Amino acid sequence: MRRSPARLVIALSVAAALAVFVLYTSIAGAGTPQIQPKDLAQHTGVVLLVGKVVSTGGDSHSPGGMHFVLRDVKNDSGKRARVVYHGTVPDPYRVGREVVVTGTLRNGVFVAQDGSLTTKCPSKYAPAKSKT
Amino acid sequence: MPQLGRAALLLSLGLVAYALIAGSIAAWKRRRRLALSAQNALLASFFSTAIAAGVLWSALARRDFSFVYVSEHISRKLPLGYALAAFWGGQEGSLLLWLLILSGYAALAVWLNRGTRELIAWVVPVLAGVAGFFAFMLCFVSSPFATAPAPADGAGMVPSLQNPYMLAHPPLLYLGYVGLTIPFAFAMGALLSRRTDERWIVATRRWTLAAWTFLGVGQLLGAHWAYVEIGWGGYYAWDPVENAALMPWLAATAFLHSVMIQEKRGMLKVWNMVLVALAFCLSIFGTFLTRSGVVNSIHSFSQSPLGGWFLGFIAICVVFSIGLIYLRLPMLRARTKLESLVSREATFLYNNLLLVAFCLTILWGVTYPLLTEALRGETRSVSKPYYNFFLHSFGLPLLLLMGIGPLVAWRRASLRALGRMFLIPFGVGAVTGIALIAAGFGSSPPGLLAYTFSAFVLASILLEFVRGRRAAGSIRRLVGRNRRRYGGYLVHAAIVLLAIGVAGSSSYQTVREKGLKPGQAMTVAGYTLTYLQLGQRQEANAIATRATIDVSRGGSHVTTLHPGKNTYPVEKQTSNEVSIYHDPRNLGDVFLIADQIDPGSNTLYLKALVKPLVNLIWAAGFLFVFGALVAMWPDAVEQRRLADRYAAGAVAA
Repeated sequence: MRRSPARLVIALSVAAALAVFVLYTSIAGAGTPQIQPKDLAQHTGVVLLVGKVVSTGGDSHSPGGMHFVLRDVKNDSGKRARVVYHGTVPDPYRVGREVVVTGTLRNGVFVAQDGSLTTKCPSKYAPAKSKT
Repeated sequence: MPQLGRAALLLSLGLVAYALIAGSIAAWKRRRRLALSAQNALLASFFSTAIAAGVLWSALARRDFSFVYVSEHISRKLPLGYALAAFWGGQEGSLLLWLLILSGYAALAVWLNRGTRELIAWVVPVLAGVAGFFAFMLCFVSSPFATAPAPADGAGMVPSLQNPYMLAHPPLLYLGYVGLTIPFAFAMGALLSRRTDERWIVATRRWTLAAWTFLGVGQLLGAHWAYVEIGWGGYYAWDPVENAALMPWLAATAFLHSVMIQEKRGMLKVWNMVLVALAFCLSIFGTFLTRSGVVNSIHSFSQSPLGGWFLGFIAICVVFSIGLIYLRLPMLRARTKLESLVSREATFLYNNLLLVAFCLTILWGVTYPLLTEALRGETRSVSKPYYNFFLHSFGLPLLLLMGIGPLVAWRRASLRALGRMFLIPFGVGAVTGIALIAAGFGSSPPGLLAYTFSAFVLASILLEFVRGRRAAGSIRRLVGRNRRRYGGYLVHAAIVLLAIGVAGSSSYQTVREKGLKPGQAMTVAGYTLTYLQLGQRQEANAIATRATIDVSRGGSHVTTLHPGKNTYPVEKQTSNEVSIYHDPRNLGDVFLIADQIDPGSNTLYLKALVKPLVNLIWAAGFLFVFGALVAMWPDAVEQRRLADRYAAGAVAA
């Protein structure tokens, strides 16, 4: 019995999709590491740094940029990451907020890519504080 | 009052539990009276859930801060509209909204399809099972009726949520997410009742279309909300929470196309079952993503105890669906076979594969941090370049197929017929592409391809209308004869407009930023922006600081814009308030962001974006809704045709 070409189409499509996928991962690599301040010293390349803002100062649009210090979000190890950043600062940014910033560690300071700072919107669906 | 809310939710849980158990026994043992009783229980659960919802809305309207939910989400100064919208602004309320919509949908679906006895008998327990999960969560895990000593004032609402879109975007998304439960329940009902013909598809076609439309419009409203409110100049960030809504929409889009093949040719039965289950599971997965906090998102729904419950429920749904499809495989054999790779059904198949491939690559991107953490002990994530790569790889061929599919004949198309059909659209596409290269638009190959393919698709759609009108005599008669087909063409045209808008505003946008003092100016894409002054005024619940910017072009005044910031004393937060000029000449926007304001020195750090054609994205939304309404509109001719085909049972489509 003659088989339906649908199987051939599906097989070729899956193969094509996989080929595109392999092509992408071979060109662009396999994602960016997402780390907390405690793991920062072990990474030399570009990383996504996730942390809670401990202190902040400076002007993100000045040549010197904005400086802030991050701590671990979960299970604080006591390690701190000093960050220098240029570009837009999201509205919810402030001390105590959880932020994500992309950049590289250089001479003990995390140099963030311009405009890469994002701050989590703090309210939605947060667990209730006290209930009866 | 909170006791009434809790009691109503417990009653809902009891009713859906009864509908699940009694409905299953009734369907299994073919007990008609018990099946009716289960149906009535499902209907009644809508009313008890509505009472619970009424209690919460009443507490929000009265600012009853003894409800923890109320005190955590609104304040006394918050306008009433936003206070009522806080119903879906928090976790517990949004879960209640989910149950309310689901029980309402379930009641309506059962009521409309009570004639299809065997099918609906199994649909009831499936719907009750899903509703039962949400009712259980609301009763025992995440109750909106928790109480505490009332504080003097509530915490208020996040400033970015204080936007008119808060009234429409979340409920529309929920209408879409939850709506996908109905086709899923009918599909599973069809498998359980061994009624695997096309009846379940006919019964749920409009449900699927409605859910898909709500989900699409909800996302578009969310994109516009982000565009005008968040103040970063974009409308889609490939954030996991945004992707959570896109994935089920893509799966539902594939389903809406492939069911046509099943209806017309009796093919792709297994595929359709898989797609409907995928769309439903992805809608639950989206809810899991937003509530578990397992992946980083700018929308951050924080860590909560709900993640594990949702993950468990998704696992049950996946195992149940796959298991049932596998058990019924012998009943899902195709009546016919694909005769040629150049046919209407083949192009639909290509379209489906591209949509599903795109959906799965997004799913891969969203879950990538979890997978790498589990497998390599290191969290890695992918970002915009990853998603854009696959948007181009799968989206552009999809765009092209939108123009090809409708013109290719069913079963088998000859090359001569194809040449005749495609001569004009191909010519229009080629001329557009060459003209764009000559005009200097070759700087962005994806943008150039998107425009060229869009011209090809629009020409093919227009040609279909012209040919059809010639045969039917008038457009009205033409559309009236086949609302589904021509509604579909209108939706295709909307997607083309969307593609043009996205390509124009992303591939050809100009961005400039500069620190300015009063009297100083900057230029961007031919516009001169002169900073005149800074002002402050008191609003209902915020202090508004605004810069006055004169916008001119070629020495002529165009408009005056007022970007700035709002400071909310109760919420202790600041929000960017962007100012936008819609330019009718290029259908684009001049988008100004007061990135940083120093009231002491009156210094303004201004960010300006010129986004050509961006307004086509929002215009596409109107055409999308219109096309979907045309396709959904009751069609007497179709009803008669279906009644003839399925004379054995009434079908409420």
